Amino acid sequence: MGCSAGAFAQQTQKILKKTNIDHFFTCSLDLLLDTVSANYHLNIVFERDSVSKFDIANHFFNESLKEVLEKVCRDNKLHYWIESDGTIYILQNTDDLARLKKLNTLRQSAAGAIKPILIEKPKAPPAHFMFTISGRITDQATGESLPSATVKIRNTTLSATANTDGSFTLFNIPADTCVVEVSYSGYQQEYLRLTPKNIDNPILIGMFKALNTLNEVTINGKKSGVMNTDTKKVGVLQLSPANLDKLPSLGEKDIMRAFQLMPGVGATNESSSGAYVRGGTPDQNLVVFDGFTVYQVDHLYGFFSAFNSNAVKDVQLYKGGFSSKYGGRLSSVTEINGKDGNKNDANFGVDLGLLSINLFAETPITDKSSLMVAFRRSYQGPFYDKIFKQFNTSTAVGGAPGRGAPPGGGPPGGGGFGEQTTPASHFYDADLRYTYHINRNNSLAWSLYSGSDKTDNSRQLELPSFISAGSGNIDITDYTKYGNLGSSLKWFSQWNKQLHSNTYITYSSYFNNRNRTTAGTAKDENGNQTNFSNGTVETNNLKDIGLKSEWEWQMDNKLKLLYGGFLSRQQINYDYIQNDTSKLINQHNTAILGGSYAELEIDPTNKLHLQPGARLTWFNPTGRVYAEPRFSASYELSDHYTLKAATGQFYQFMNEVTREDVVNGNRNFWVLSNNANIPVSSSRHIMGGVAYENNQFLIDVEGYYKTLSGLTQYTIRQSGFAPGSAGTIQEDFFQGTGRAKGIEILLQKKLGRYTGWLSYTLAEAQNKFSAYGNNYYPADQDIRHEFKAINMYHYYRWNFSAVFIFSTGHPYTAPLSTYTITAPDGTSSTSYNVSGKNAERLPDHHRLDLSATYDLLKINGDKTGSIGISLFNVYNHTNIWYREYQLQNNAAITTDVNYLGFTPNITFSLRWK
Amino acid sequence: MEIKKHIFFAFAGVSLLLASCKKDVTNTTTSLPVVEAYLMGGNAILVKLYQQKALTDTATYGAPITGQQLSVSDGNNTVQLVETAKGIYTYSDIAFLTAGKTYTLIFKYLAETVTAKTTMPAKPADFATQYAVVYPKAPSGPNAIPDTINRFTWANPDSLNHVLVFKSSDGTEFPLGSRGNNTETDFELNTDRKSGYYVTTNVIPFYGHYKVILLRVNQEYIDLLKSNTGRSTSQNLVNTPTNVTNGFGIFTAMQADTLSFNVL
Repeated sequence: MGCSAGAFAQQTQKILKKTNIDHFFTCSLDLLLDTVSANYHLNIVFERDSVSKFDIANHFFNESLKEVLEKVCRDNKLHYWIESDGTIYILQNTDDLARLKKLNTLRQSAAGAIKPILIEKPKAPPAHFMFTISGRITDQATGESLPSATVKIRNTTLSATANTDGSFTLFNIPADTCVVEVSYSGYQQEYLRLTPKNIDNPILIGMFKALNTLNEVTINGKKSGVMNTDTKKVGVLQLSPANLDKLPSLGEKDIMRAFQLMPGVGATNESSSGAYVRGGTPDQNLVVFDGFTVYQVDHLYGFFSAFNSNAVKDVQLYKGGFSSKYGGRLSSVTEINGKDGNKNDANFGVDLGLLSINLFAETPITDKSSLMVAFRRSYQGPFYDKIFKQFNTSTAVGGAPGRGAPPGGGPPGGGGFGEQTTPASHFYDADLRYTYHINRNNSLAWSLYSGSDKTDNSRQLELPSFISAGSGNIDITDYTKYGNLGSSLKWFSQWNKQLHSNTYITYSSYFNNRNRTTAGTAKDENGNQTNFSNGTVETNNLKDIGLKSEWEWQMDNKLKLLYGGFLSRQQINYDYIQNDTSKLINQHNTAILGGSYAELEIDPTNKLHLQPGARLTWFNPTGRVYAEPRFSASYELSDHYTLKAATGQFYQFMNEVTREDVVNGNRNFWVLSNNANIPVSSSRHIMGGVAYENNQFLIDVEGYYKTLSGLTQYTIRQSGFAPGSAGTIQEDFFQGTGRAKGIEILLQKKLGRYTGWLSYTLAEAQNKFSAYGNNYYPADQDIRHEFKAINMYHYYRWNFSAVFIFSTGHPYTAPLSTYTITAPDGTSSTSYNVSGKNAERLPDHHRLDLSATYDLLKINGDKTGSIGISLFNVYNHTNIWYREYQLQNNAAITTDVNYLGFTPNITFSLRWK
Repeated sequence: MEIKKHIFFAFAGVSLLLASCKKDVTNTTTSLPVVEAYLMGGNAILVKLYQQKALTDTATYGAPITGQQLSVSDGNNTVQLVETAKGIYTYSDIAFLTAGKTYTLIFKYLAETVTAKTTMPAKPADFATQYAVVYPKAPSGPNAIPDTINRFTWANPDSLNHVLVFKSSDGTEFPLGSRGNNTETDFELNTDRKSGYYVTTNVIPFYGHYKVILLRVNQEYIDLLKSNTGRSTSQNLVNTPTNVTNGFGIFTAMQADTLSFNVL
């Protein structure tokens, strides 16, 4: 390994640890620092005016210099901070760093100052020319790889971006005396002088974290915000969870909710953490976690996403027109990469909120392997109950059975007793990741995710004697459990400097089960005992086993080939059993899906980037091969302007469907496309945009047009069921088409005490299903205007944020009038005359969320945690989720079902290291 | 300035795009008439016409529509209906309705021509009951499996739609079960194209003397029967099925056979 700038920081740390002080200081602090600086050749930067006010009268008995520094800083409420160049800064406030750095630069020009050596001089004239280097960028402290770090050769146009494993390759390096510059959001810039020796082996560069302070942008194009757009690509959002605590939250740092603050991602579906991207629905968004597909992306009726941000390293959201590497969804891709775990030191952390406890630990196991574990569980406090009640209708009154259904309906179990208990309910998720470095070029990573929501309202009833002539008791089982278990084993291999591969074995299992049965014994007056058991058991599960291999071949600086293959088997079981015997739904389907993709990344000039690709998928239920051509391109008009565009064809082979259950809440299930009533759906995207970026601001404007066909609405409607008699299930398959278009504008301020962005989306999403007529109607997720203002203000150790969201109301279907007719049996029934599908609009949706976070810092400037307060929907605006209609006394009563009102929350987060 | 220009053009472009396909359809369906007509073999034709009701209206039925010229055609002959009471239009020749013929109702209401079509099924055959009288015990508990007390059968080789209608002449005086959810003495059951129906103590809510009518019905009637607007939300609200064009309600033909059945 070469001698990078970071080596100086390590040198300084070594001096601090190894040097022992045995001295009695009675002087002002500035003189102490001067003495230390001169004696041990350390560059210590401080403001003499303020530091000279502190007096030291201390006898240090053989204590390390580090302990001395920590003691004097602690005593005087100061912090010290070691920059990657080895300079020690003495800070009163973390925000002073920028000022002190300027001071340092000035001082270095003065004669006699102790200068840090930024980069070593070349030792010999260059000996190698036009060669290739490869390497890996990692976090110096944790050993975690840093994907999408920028690597540049100083004074040339050569540059590369580290891939998901942090590795990079650069070709045609002019000479072995060049300097490599590495930059990455939230880290200090690193430099490395190439030498004839270090160019032969992979170059490992460990980066130092930047002091958690003002957002600093030292080079154009580098971003350090909470969330970033890629100005060079169309429709790409990137997020690092580390900064999520600066945004208002409802108790959970939520990666999916954070994306909803960006343009093109719907922000007003409080009941779904899924991504409504550019007129698409959440089931059209592919969610990949460490290589496996996640089918259940949220907790607690959609209020929280299923991913623990402590276990996540980075997330990318592709809003459409995405690479041929991804497939199987119509709208968008969310790719989540888990943390590897600290390779150098053990670290523990805890986050506490009103909703859940979140624990994580990361530790090296051997010098070649590391482990990361994260666990999160909700507790059923008032805050949880508030959300639960908002989104759960299971305590609702029994609904009327359908006309013509056997009388005596009502939900089983609860019928007639009026017994209402608060159901026990919780969610949890756990992440585990084990990384093993076989050798320098090969590593294995095993990732495991398990998350589920469980609601249990089971109880035992003692039959009162007035109900039956005898006596007995009843066990009521009433539970709902849904979630996802997923795992992957990844093998990373660097075959040579130019070629590397990631091969995955993946498993993902989704389940959604509900059991509502009543069992027990009853005795009649003669003492005869009878057993009974009735009710419904509903199980839906999906098992997805796959193998995929993804290869990247960097042919030269202008050409990169990405290719790979995939094979997977999906099995979906859906059983809906009533009274142990009658199977209302009995579906068991299997599909095998296989294929390959190839994509070229061409950079003919430094300004132009072309990315043609294609994906072929064979889907065995239809026996067809589906070809998906893709293309994206970008062109840098000038230093500030970039033009970008993308287009492509996309197929989707499975759908999430809804079984309507007005009494107990709708249930969602996954079904596979087939050759009969559920077609393979397809979509075409055209999107383009222009971005302007300077050191302070970013403006990004993108437009899109999408067509969709083979859309399925599959509803299962159930009409009355009673103990002892089978209900009926009516399955409706509606097929239709859709289209979506829109324009998104993002204006982001990247730098300074005040940062944030304004986002505006003008969009339209329409569907056409013959079941609702021959015209296009607004899709459920159609939003015309959406405006989001995200404001963050940094003040020393405080971060304040204010998020305002405004959107046009969602479309909905309303009754216009009613009419009543009488059946031949003499009973009358009332029906609604219904407006056109989604012909009406709910009132506009808007709310303001505020938060304040106070950073907890160690003496050496490292962040150890934070305390935060969040206020959700500050001015308590009533946002309507949907409307409920009920007939009472022949009149139709409309009830609004609302989203959450004002909800405060506090969070506490602590890291041991 | 450069940027502003970009944004402006992009805005203008998309605004045009969005504006070009905007359609304003004013909904006029609230003035359409409601039709209620069951053409029974061996009975006179009787068609009721109602107006729709406002959502907050607590009246059971809408106001009758009077003074209309209704005609029914069987393909060859067209007959005019006579308004015998307010909003009730009849044709009294019972010979006009015969099995296998398709009948079309047609009339003009406001600006629209309202039509509806139905085919008269054949009379149900071999309608039989296992017992004419049963003496059931009350169910032993609310969740006990109810006893099967009777079986009705009929011929149905072609799996046609049938509905069983129960009409009690004794009212609600003697409840049978303790569930008590069903408070109707008269009710109908869809038999799902089967050729028999098992009656349990849960189906029959009251002791009494019942007239059991087997109706052979058309699909449009089953569609209406299956629909459920008891509790709906803006997320799942759909129109109740109707076979009336430019109107709501039902115009359907059916044939009946009747038995008596006593639960004592």
